[in-house]
Amino acid sequence: MQYELRTQVVDQRRATFSYLAERLGDKPATRYEEGSVGIQPKENFHYRPLWAPDHELYGADWSAVRLTDPDEFRDPRQYYYAPYVSKRAEMHDAFGKTIDYLDERGLLAKLPEPWGRLLAEIVLPLRHYESGAQLLTVLGSRFAHGTTVAQCCTYAAFDRVGNAQLLSRVGISQAEGSDALLEPAKQSWLEDEALQGLRRMVEELLLEPDWAVGLFSLDLLDRAVYGLVYRHLDTVALLDGAGAYSLIIQHLTNWFADHRRWLDALVSAWLADPEHGEGNRALLAQVVTSRLPQVREAVTALARGIDDRIGDDGAAAAAEILDGLRTGLVEQGLIQEEPA
Amino acid sequence: MTTPEARVRMVGVDLQENDDSRGIVDALEEDNEGVVISRMPGLVRVQCPHRLVINQASVERHLGRPWETQEFQLSIVSYFGHIDDWDDDQVVVAWDH
Repeated sequence: MQYELRTQVVDQRRATFSYLAERLGDKPATRYEEGSVGIQPKENFHYRPLWAPDHELYGADWSAVRLTDPDEFRDPRQYYYAPYVSKRAEMHDAFGKTIDYLDERGLLAKLPEPWGRLLAEIVLPLRHYESGAQLLTVLGSRFAHGTTVAQCCTYAAFDRVGNAQLLSRVGISQAEGSDALLEPAKQSWLEDEALQGLRRMVEELLLEPDWAVGLFSLDLLDRAVYGLVYRHLDTVALLDGAGAYSLIIQHLTNWFADHRRWLDALVSAWLADPEHGEGNRALLAQVVTSRLPQVREAVTALARGIDDRIGDDGAAAAAEILDGLRTGLVEQGLIQEEPA
Repeated sequence: MTTPEARVRMVGVDLQENDDSRGIVDALEEDNEGVVISRMPGLVRVQCPHRLVINQASVERHLGRPWETQEFQLSIVSYFGHIDDWDDDQVVVAWDH
């Protein structure tokens, strides 16, 4: 008896969901596309929210910054649940290894005194900054129109909680396993001169009803804060015998680089939009005009606080970072005229 | 392939059908002219007249993550043509005569 093995191909009727086929052609779609594109609820909302009767439950009119077709936006990292979770698990594992290494040797507790103060009084309180950033970002996951945008916001919001946790673990490790530094860090956040500019801006932004404006303003501040506290101080720490600082901070620097990818793509999409591009540009330019001086003030105060503790030339670095930020905004056409 | 007009010689690659090679297939479709894609169970065959270029940059864009051309080895099942060039930023499959 002989068997002949043959393959029989049964052609699929359709390679993917019909709403994806209409958009992308009838070919197998990626997991990311299947889970993100075209699934925003757009019709058949029964009741308007009692707390906002002038809006439908979901809709483009929750923000003045608009995209003609939000489903055309793609997260360049293509995060959906599975890759996002595994990427962040990797990040937190790596961070855990770093902190175990530092714990075993007690390196955070043994930081040079000025760096210990800097970490406890300036960097640790930034967990409250992250927490405020979380609230600002999560607004986008509710109100953004288009799942591709909203899911980026959701992940970014979880990232901010994660960052706050990383900072807390640093504080616990620095206090050799106790929460002794976390309480005073809260007081620093509330009272320290160096941090009041940041706190003020974050808290003002919490009152901003438009998620996109809030997110964009926060990003202006983020770029300066991350540039100064995480990137600039990283180098300074290495040269100044505070290697432990650099070891932990690298994880936040890496996170920020990853975070920038989707946010830059979103801002570019806002500005390049065929229909709403000009309107978006005008609106964002207005945000830049009103918020950039505040960012400058907040970050300059932060740099002064850093200088007071480690005698670094943080003020110069801050000025350079702010100039870089400004140049970027001029290139994007969000600042028209050069300052005198 | 014994058709009389077989003068147009195709080169091509057979890739595993999975999420990773989907990005590669999209990149191939974008970067090469006259691509013919046939999907079989578990396999995608991408054919192109004379020459097929796989650019690292476009694959990365479609996959949304860093991708090294060496990783192409993981997706490829078979190929026909001659591998003309395999460096960090592109792989070229072509007939050299």
